[in-house]
Amino acid sequence: MLRTFRLFLIASFVAATFGVPATPAGAAGDTILFGSSVSLTGSLAKEGKLTQEGYDFWKDYINQHGGLKVGGKSYKVDIKYYDDESKPASAQQLAERLIDQDHVNFILGPYGSGTAFTVAQMVERKKMPMVEGNGAAEKIFSQGFRYTFGVLSPAKKYLQGVLDMAAKRKPRPVTVAISAASDAFSLEVQQGVVDYAQTLGFKVVYSNKYPDTTTDVSSVVSAIKATNPDIILNAGHLQDALLIHKGLKEQNVQAKIYAYSVGPDTPDFVNSLGKDANFVYGGAQWSEAVKYQGQAGFYKSAMDYANAFDAVYHHRPDYHNAESTAACLAFQYALQKAGTLDSEKVRDALQSLDIVTFYGIIKFDSRGLNVFKPMVVNQIQHGKLVTVWPEFTANGKPMYPAPPWAQR
Amino acid sequence: MQLFFQDLVNGILAGGILAVVALGFSLVWGIMNIINLAHGAFIMLGAYIAWQLFTSLHVDPFLSVPVAFVIMFGFGYLLQRGLINRVVRAPVLATFLLTFGLSLLIQNLALMVWTSDTRAVTPVYSGANFDIHGVTIPWAKVATLAAALLITLVMYLWLQRSKMGRAIRATAMDVGAAQMVGVRVAHIYGVTFGIGAALAGAAGALLSLSYSLNPSMGEPFLIRGFVVCVLGGLGSVEGALIGGLAYGIVASFASNIDFTLYGQHVSGTGLQDVVALLVLLAVLIVRPTGLAGRATA
Repeated sequence: MLRTFRLFLIASFVAATFGVPATPAGAAGDTILFGSSVSLTGSLAKEGKLTQEGYDFWKDYINQHGGLKVGGKSYKVDIKYYDDESKPASAQQLAERLIDQDHVNFILGPYGSGTAFTVAQMVERKKMPMVEGNGAAEKIFSQGFRYTFGVLSPAKKYLQGVLDMAAKRKPRPVTVAISAASDAFSLEVQQGVVDYAQTLGFKVVYSNKYPDTTTDVSSVVSAIKATNPDIILNAGHLQDALLIHKGLKEQNVQAKIYAYSVGPDTPDFVNSLGKDANFVYGGAQWSEAVKYQGQAGFYKSAMDYANAFDAVYHHRPDYHNAESTAACLAFQYALQKAGTLDSEKVRDALQSLDIVTFYGIIKFDSRGLNVFKPMVVNQIQHGKLVTVWPEFTANGKPMYPAPPWAQR
Repeated sequence: MQLFFQDLVNGILAGGILAVVALGFSLVWGIMNIINLAHGAFIMLGAYIAWQLFTSLHVDPFLSVPVAFVIMFGFGYLLQRGLINRVVRAPVLATFLLTFGLSLLIQNLALMVWTSDTRAVTPVYSGANFDIHGVTIPWAKVATLAAALLITLVMYLWLQRSKMGRAIRATAMDVGAAQMVGVRVAHIYGVTFGIGAALAGAAGALLSLSYSLNPSMGEPFLIRGFVVCVLGGLGSVEGALIGGLAYGIVASFASNIDFTLYGQHVSGTGLQDVVALLVLLAVLIVRPTGLAGRATA
């Protein structure tokens, strides 16, 4: 029995480090080759696909508009992908393979903080600039890495907008419950909520975590129910957001506000939950309602971007798509500014980048993190995503409080 | 106290479905000595069968359970006769490689057919519940538990009473002796693997109600199935049931552990799996054959 168990562990390990190439190689003299490991299978497959769409949309735009001009020469752009199976260890190995064997010029980040963290370690070792749009944990940016840049607002801010919005509601909610998956990103979101809730005068009545591979959250839901909170928050990913929201209905947990760090923005959330998805809030890096005026070289407004994207992929872009495209844009403008493909000079150009795009401000602090862009809060109303916060960019008002489950 | 009973109910409801998840895995392992790493992928297929029937033909997921059972039985039987049979006597690593490869293949095919979009089966009664003294119980999960118990009972009776069931048990005890009295071992292995796949399919169809679907959804259930099966005892129906319920209840109560140790906050829900595995370890030390396992040669 013990021997078999050991073999089982070995097999699991082999499985964990197994990587499958997703696209054939292709680099040439007139092409700038980007490399990226994205999660095309595994628990983050959906988000990984959204990431890839965001990258490909930019690539096709550039190639259809005469390529990317760097130092007076026009380059085509291409992206080589591998599937990291949602596993941080695989993502790191694949990053090494992209740099050493595929000789990519630059790295575009994977999906998720766990994978982005291991890839960041690799690009640091290889002195290879990476811009990533999908790993918001500050853990990635507090290691003194010089070659990793993130275009997103940090994890701590994900649900703070929901609290800001909640503080302005009448009658004002008082108590907050937050559950979190036990991964780096979700724990930082949770910490951000706990700290910020207290400064706004909310009382945190429940704060706990659950394993990020969980298949049953009913005990988490029971514990939340026992504290009878006004605001129920979850820091996690699509799969657990769905499990928890279903669980809240099954145990008839009634709150005024339900919000999830990741989930409500993907169409799958509404498709899976139907009417139960209504009134749910989500923190978002971007929505097509944001009103930024971008500079020349790409779609200037969020709405133009969204319409063009929809025409290609037949669905509205969510913030995962947009932040991935934004990572490409950081490279685009930094390369033009540097006027060379030299990795050290491109790194410096990224560090001093200060631009506005359809996605918002892209500007990095000394750690490489884009702390200058605010988050938005979306709410699902009648099955549609409406941006309700901050008020200056909102295209709808929050529907508050959430009615009993039967009336949603 | 209310939370105590709520956790107990949650644990039992979660454990019932884990029993069906583990049952097929346990039979294949106990009888054929094959640790089927594709079991999670089979569960996923069962869930997608229920989803497809629900979405295309509005079939209630509970009615899809027998459909998934039959389809997956045929799939499993053919797979065994065509492929798995080649490694039945091979070293365990060969069966690992083959079933792991199968798992990857099935998942990637599912990715092509159904994409990575997250799906859910949401019938009108989804989320409906009733209340007993403040303990809220969802109807769908009660029905799932009932179905799980029924499946387990039928499997138990079939293995104990039917001719085929007796032949399967005889093969598990002694292949040579079984062959001598006229048992067609190749066919028995096919049926056993088919039943294993069928149970995975049924479990998947049941899970489609409470869990959301994607092509890699089976993986965490494979691990839990493994633990439940070792916990309860290999190859036995009652073992899978006892193991499943034990795992479900332990994991549910573990989520309430909450204490501070040397200034470090230790919270329970993050420890669910740790506690469940510690219990497994303790059981293996005290009863190496599992909770309901019998000593075998």
